[in-house]
Amino acid sequence: MKQNQKKAWLFLAPILILVTVFSIWPIIRAFIMSFKGGPIINMQYNGLANYQYIFSDPDFWHAIANTAIYAFVTVPVALIISIALAWFVFSKIKHKTFFETMFFMPYVTSTIAIGIVFRYILNGKYGLLDYLLRAIHLPAPDWLDDPSMSIISLIMFGVWASLAFNIVILMGALRNIDPNYYVLADMYGASEMEKFWRITLPQLVPTITFLLTVNLIGAFKIYTQVYALFNGAAGQANSAMTAVFYIYNKFQVVNTPGVAMAATVVLFFIILLATFIQRKITKKVNS
Amino acid sequence: MENKKFIEVKDLQKTYDNGHQAIKSVSFSVNKGDLVCLLGPSGCGKTTTLNMIAGLLAPTGGDILVEGKSMIHVEPKDRNIGYVFQNYALYPHMTVLQNVMFPLTVGKGKKSKNEAKKIAKRYMQLTHIEELADQKPGKLSGGQQQRVAIARALVQEPKILLMDEPLSNLDARLRLKIREEIRALVKEVGITTLFVTHDQEEALSIGDRIILFNEGTVQQNDTGDNLYLEPVNQFAANFIGNPVIDNFKVKVENDYVVGKGFKFAITDLKNERFKKTLQEGQTYTLSVRPENLLPLMTEVKIENDDHYLEADIEDIELIGRERVLKFTNDGNSERSLINLEHQVKRGDHLTFSFKLKRVYIFDDNGERVY
Repeated sequence: MKQNQKKAWLFLAPILILVTVFSIWPIIRAFIMSFKGGPIINMQYNGLANYQYIFSDPDFWHAIANTAIYAFVTVPVALIISIALAWFVFSKIKHKTFFETMFFMPYVTSTIAIGIVFRYILNGKYGLLDYLLRAIHLPAPDWLDDPSMSIISLIMFGVWASLAFNIVILMGALRNIDPNYYVLADMYGASEMEKFWRITLPQLVPTITFLLTVNLIGAFKIYTQVYALFNGAAGQANSAMTAVFYIYNKFQVVNTPGVAMAATVVLFFIILLATFIQRKITKKVNS
Repeated sequence: MENKKFIEVKDLQKTYDNGHQAIKSVSFSVNKGDLVCLLGPSGCGKTTTLNMIAGLLAPTGGDILVEGKSMIHVEPKDRNIGYVFQNYALYPHMTVLQNVMFPLTVGKGKKSKNEAKKIAKRYMQLTHIEELADQKPGKLSGGQQQRVAIARALVQEPKILLMDEPLSNLDARLRLKIREEIRALVKEVGITTLFVTHDQEEALSIGDRIILFNEGTVQQNDTGDNLYLEPVNQFAANFIGNPVIDNFKVKVENDYVVGKGFKFAITDLKNERFKKTLQEGQTYTLSVRPENLLPLMTEVKIENDDHYLEADIEDIELIGRERVLKFTNDGNSERSLINLEHQVKRGDHLTFSFKLKRVYIFDDNGERVY
C-alpha cells in the first residue's frame, strides 16, 4: 500500500502542479492582494481598507444583488424547462439524436455570437421579439436600453443559454434509466404522470443535484453573457452590473486591483455559502 | 372444476420488422396451477413467446387464450399477469416495502395506502422479506432482490406469473436454493407460472412440464422424465442431458445396424419401440446417453461381440461423483459416464457395451425412428 502511494504522487504530479499554479496559488494571491492598495506594480498593505470601500460602495451591493437575482431565478427556471424538454424529447420524439444535436448547438456556439443574435431579437426598434409582441397587441418594452428591463433580458438570455448543457446531460441520465422500470409500470397500470413523478424524477435526482450545483456556481460568475448582450457594457447606466463585471471593472478599468480582489474574495465566499446551502437542501430533499 | 387448458397458445407467430422470423409457429397449452418451463438455446424464441403472452410484444399471427378468452387485443395491464425480469428491475430509489406496494398504488384501481401496505406485508411474509422492508434494493443480495421482485409481481394477485430467466443473475449455489424456493412459493400461492430458462437442469428440476423450443418452434412439450428418457427428435436428445448424448453414424445393411467398429442385428432391438421401420441402405444416427454406454470393467465373457465397441480413452473429466471418459469414434467425440470408484487412466483401451433398450435412432431429418 505505502509503495503504491509514493508512486501515485509521481503520476499525480503534473496535474497537481498545474492546479497549484493556476488555481490554488491565484486564490491565495487574490486573498493577499485584497489587503493591499495601490497599482498592480507597487502594492502596499492597507489593512481592511479595500473591504471597507466595497461594503460602502452602492455599486458593489447593486452588483451582488443583480448577481443573486440572476442566479436564483435563472438556475431553477432553466432547470425546470430543461427537465420538461428533455423528458418530452426522450419519451415522445422518435428521432432523438437529431433533437439532441439541435439542443447542443447553442453550447458549442460562442456566447458572444449568440449575444449578437439576441441583440437583434431584443432590439427595441427593429427587434423580432417586439415585432411579435406588437403583432398580438402586447406592450413591447425596450429590452436592451431600458435600465429596468436589463436584468429580465439577461435572465432570458441566461435561461436560453443554459438549456443546451442541461438537456444533453439530462438526456444521458434518462437513457440510463432501465427501460424495464417503465415496462413494469405499464403492466401495473401506472399513468404517464405517475411514471414521471414516481420513477423518472427520482431517478434524475443525482443528475439534477449535479446540474444545480454547476449551474449555480456558473450563474454567480456570470460575465460573458452581460458583455455579449450589452455590447461590452453592463447595460444602460450599469443596470446589469454583476459581481464579476464589477471585479473586472475595478481591476482593469479603474485600476484598483486591491478593491477588485476584495470583491473577488467576497464573491468566493458567497458562492461557497450558496453551494453549501444548496447541498444541505438537496440532501434533505433526497432523504 | 375445469382444469384443462388454462392458457392456450395457438399457432403463434412473430416476424420482426426487419424480416427476422423469431417465432415460426408455436402452439401449446398450460394447465391451471402448473409450473411450466420454456426451455431452449438463446434465440430460440422462448422469451419472445413469453413477452407476447405478457402483451409486451404483438404477435404477427395466431392467438393466445386465457380461460378461453383471446388476449391479443387486451392491454398488458388488463391481462392479469405478473412479470419478473431477468434483472428484476426493482426501483432503486424505493425501499423494499415501497417497491412491493408500487403496483397497488398506481393506476385506476389503486388502493389506499393502508390497504396497499397490508397486502404488500402479506406477500412479503410469504416471500420472507418482511425484515427487509425499509432497505433499498441496492443493499440486498441477489436472492433477496429476487424475492422482492416476486413479491412485487404477486401483489396485484395476477392469474399468471411470467418469469424471464429469473435465476441467471445468481451464483450457482444460490441458484439451486432459489429455484426450490420459487417452486415451493408458486405452488403455495397456486399461481400458474411460465418460467423461461436456457438451463436444462433448472428446467428439469423445477418444471411440472417443459416446453422445449428451437428456432421458433416447439420441439417437445413434455414432463421432465419423458424429455430425458424419450426425446422426440435429435434436437431434444442433443439438448437435454449433461454430459451430452453420444451420436454414432450408422447404416442399415442386411438387417444389421452397422457403425464404425460395431454392429448389431435389428432383431436385437425391441419391436414395440419402433416409430418407423428402418430402411435398408439408409444412414441414421444412433444416440445413446453416456450412462448407457458403459465400459466392461471386469473380465466378462462376451458371447456376441457385435454389441461392443472398443476405444482408447483420450481424456477423463471428473464431475461430482462421476467420471466422464472421452474417446473418438468415426470422427465424433463420444463420452461414457462411469462411477468415480472405477479407476481408468488416459490411454486405456476399453470395451464399451451399448444398453440396447436405451438407445435411440434418428433419421437424417432428425426424426425419431427408434
